[in-house]
Amino acid sequence: MSVLIKNVTKMYGDARALDNVSVEIADGEFIAILGPSGCGKTTLLRTISGFVRPTGGTVEVDGRLFSSDKVQVPVEQRGLGMVFQSFALWPHMTVRQNIEFPLKSRRNQALPPQQRRQAVEAAMASTGLKKLQDRLPGELSGGQRQRVALARAIVEKPALLLMDEPLSALDAELKISMRKEIQDIHKLTGASIVYVTHDQSEALAMADRIIIMKEGRIEQVGTPEEIYYRPKTLFAATFVSKCNLVRGRWEGDCFWADAAAGQNQPFARGPVESCFREAGVCPVRPEEFTMTRIGMGLEGRVVNRQWGGREIHYKVECGTELFTVYAGLFDNYAEGDRVVLQRREAAREIAI
Amino acid sequence: MSKQRLKQNIGYLAGGAVALFFFLVPLCRLALMSLTTDQGFGLDNYAALLAESRTLRAIGNTVIIAVASTLIAVVLGSLLAFLVAYTDLAHKKWIEILTLAPFVIPSYIITLSWSTLLSARGSLNQFLDSAFGFKVNIYSLGGIILVLGICNAPVVYLNVLPFLRKIPRDLEWAARVCGRSLWQTVRCIDLTQAAPAVASGGMLAFLAAIDNFSVPAFLGIPAGIPVLSTYIYENVIGFGPSAFRSAAALSVLLSAIALTGTALQGLLVKKSSGMESIREDFSVRVPLGRARLPVQWITLGFLALVNIFPLITTITSSFFPACGTRTLANFTLENYRFVFTNRGIRQAFLNSALLAAATCLICILVGTALACRKVRRRCPASRLVEQSASLTYAIPGIVLALAMIFHWTMVPGVYGTIWILLIAYVTRYLVLQIKSSTNAMLALDVSLEEAAALFGSGRIRMWRQIILPLTIRSILSGTFLIFMQSLTELTLSSMLAAAGTKTIGLSIFSLQQGGDYQRAAAVSAAVIGAVALGYGLSALLPLLAGLKKRARKPRQAAPLAAAPAQAL
Repeated sequence: MSVLIKNVTKMYGDARALDNVSVEIADGEFIAILGPSGCGKTTLLRTISGFVRPTGGTVEVDGRLFSSDKVQVPVEQRGLGMVFQSFALWPHMTVRQNIEFPLKSRRNQALPPQQRRQAVEAAMASTGLKKLQDRLPGELSGGQRQRVALARAIVEKPALLLMDEPLSALDAELKISMRKEIQDIHKLTGASIVYVTHDQSEALAMADRIIIMKEGRIEQVGTPEEIYYRPKTLFAATFVSKCNLVRGRWEGDCFWADAAAGQNQPFARGPVESCFREAGVCPVRPEEFTMTRIGMGLEGRVVNRQWGGREIHYKVECGTELFTVYAGLFDNYAEGDRVVLQRREAAREIAI
Repeated sequence: MSKQRLKQNIGYLAGGAVALFFFLVPLCRLALMSLTTDQGFGLDNYAALLAESRTLRAIGNTVIIAVASTLIAVVLGSLLAFLVAYTDLAHKKWIEILTLAPFVIPSYIITLSWSTLLSARGSLNQFLDSAFGFKVNIYSLGGIILVLGICNAPVVYLNVLPFLRKIPRDLEWAARVCGRSLWQTVRCIDLTQAAPAVASGGMLAFLAAIDNFSVPAFLGIPAGIPVLSTYIYENVIGFGPSAFRSAAALSVLLSAIALTGTALQGLLVKKSSGMESIREDFSVRVPLGRARLPVQWITLGFLALVNIFPLITTITSSFFPACGTRTLANFTLENYRFVFTNRGIRQAFLNSALLAAATCLICILVGTALACRKVRRRCPASRLVEQSASLTYAIPGIVLALAMIFHWTMVPGVYGTIWILLIAYVTRYLVLQIKSSTNAMLALDVSLEEAAALFGSGRIRMWRQIILPLTIRSILSGTFLIFMQSLTELTLSSMLAAAGTKTIGLSIFSLQQGGDYQRAAAVSAAVIGAVALGYGLSALLPLLAGLKKRARKPRQAAPLAAAPAQAL
């Protein structure tokens, strides 16, 4: 199911929760809406689901107008599946009754009982809930509840599946393992998925495309690789790939860093988005730095070191700037060591 | 045994002895009295009672009235709770105040006002008679049911309202996504979820109806409609000690019904638990659209008609003499002159005020100390006192009054004086204070006290600077409830008061029974004024004390809203 969101604005009093948002979601696409809390991502999701009526703009699904300032198709007539952050399982119904619930609605009146039972069985089988079907939600673990919520959302085989931070109520271990289940469900159903999250690793891991939002506006839309390697805004750079913004000035494709003043070669080269050029900064991801004791680059001092097993995270103070560096286990420095930071491509270029 | 252990054990014993003497022994005496026969012990009293048709009628009436008035209360209370919790009606504050009016105003005043409104020669009945050819007789089974239903609706309302607000909105949204319309969602999600709260509120209303003395006393006694509580009263007042045994047997029967109800209610509360930690959600869930304005004004109009109009009629009637037409020429302050100059009435006001103040003082000291020992030291003696005190609150007031007579006539110098009333009030209401102080202490994290001790605070300083500032609001909410209830109390004093120790409630009751409706109305008006003043002050005090920030909007009705939770 394709979704077309055109110039959608939502005002709460004077506050702009959504500010002229336009995006197109293709049939079968897994799209993640990513942003910090209060960025409008949940409002956008609720606009698609029909709980929020836009102040301006339109939402069309498969060419049918769902929302505008005049038209508002009721939620129950939109035929969506949805997974909630709190799971929203009805505590007085068993697992089976919860999953069966969507099939007993008016829009499924024509469904023969045989098919209804098959659909429930299929949804329970694909989420591994068969043995738990007579339990109440209160008797389930967090992961099991999550599976019931997923099964309930897919039992009608909706062409559009909305997920509102579905993993944020789970513990770290379970979060990772549930990602695979959600990916499997996407492959199995072929539905378009709109997935809201504030966790960039979830978005990067699962989505075909990511929408980055900030203060009610879309910052960037792109594939995980595009967003990660070629952020188009300062916010996208710092929020997703945790870029350090090295201060300095651009001359053509050469970047001269303030903290490396007086050196005779530029700190970085290469094409860069105009916003970085205008702001006078160069985005450098933490793993993009190389750290040496001597050489050309940003001279600084290690002020914090956190050992992480696979890598070591450093904070390096260069003049008034503080950079985050992820280095391999063999680049072992102590707090207080004087170091020089270079950008990896730059380092390679020099080596060549 | 170490010295400390010895001290502790003596403390437990003393606590246990107090619980026994003040709370349990009176009830045992009552039970024993019901089993006493001329030959020794036996069930003769019960057999004699049950053979009497009037007793069976009283039991039957009690059940009919309790069930029917509970139905009215449940429908009215739940509907209002739904409107206030979920819809987009304006003036919700006024709807709430009007809804809660019968909870705040003593039920005998409400009864008096309905009987004034629907008096046989009143203008409403005159109108009905001339227009439709019939009159409404309020002195009837139906009248008692109607007034009790109205009086108990707030109990259901207060029980259901927070529960409705606590149902997570996600559950509704999930149902909407699954293809249910707004009203289908309300029905199969919200109302199903709220069912235990409605049932538990209904059970409270049922218990209140069984316990209630004033409504059947005002309306039933003149019409010869006995219920258990008034039947006990009539037996004791009419026949004196000779009727004690049968009255005791009746009391045991009535208590059995009440305690069964209390136990059921406890089960229902357990079933609906698990929602305590969820925050109330005040957002609009059911927009009424075009129906909003009609529904709003119908609701307000209905509430004004049912809960306020009779009161206004009564207050108006107090400005006119008993006979004659109500024209401006007849306007008189004579009834008020009587209220403020009659020695008996003045004495009654003084008695009630003193009793209420003394009851509060004792309850706040004893109740908070008990709560403290229970929460912090898990002291079994204070738990025993609490359980005994909840027993004396759960049984109907008229039964407790009878038990008080049996018990305290054994102690010289108590029965017949004001002390018996004070003791009865404390016995009755102490559990309210224990509950609210317990809640206050539970809400206070023990680490706060530990931190204060760690940083070198002594006990007194810790109480003054840490514990009291953080708990006083919650502690006082119980005290306030006790003050209001004991100020306007009627059931206990109707049995226990003597010539010089009449209370306000009893004065109104006597005036009404003597047919002196206008003067009863004037005293009632004064009581309503005092009650309104009390609630007004309780709403203003936090403002004056600069505690406004903590007393946010939904909490302003704290003394009220805390009531049903504390009731049992």
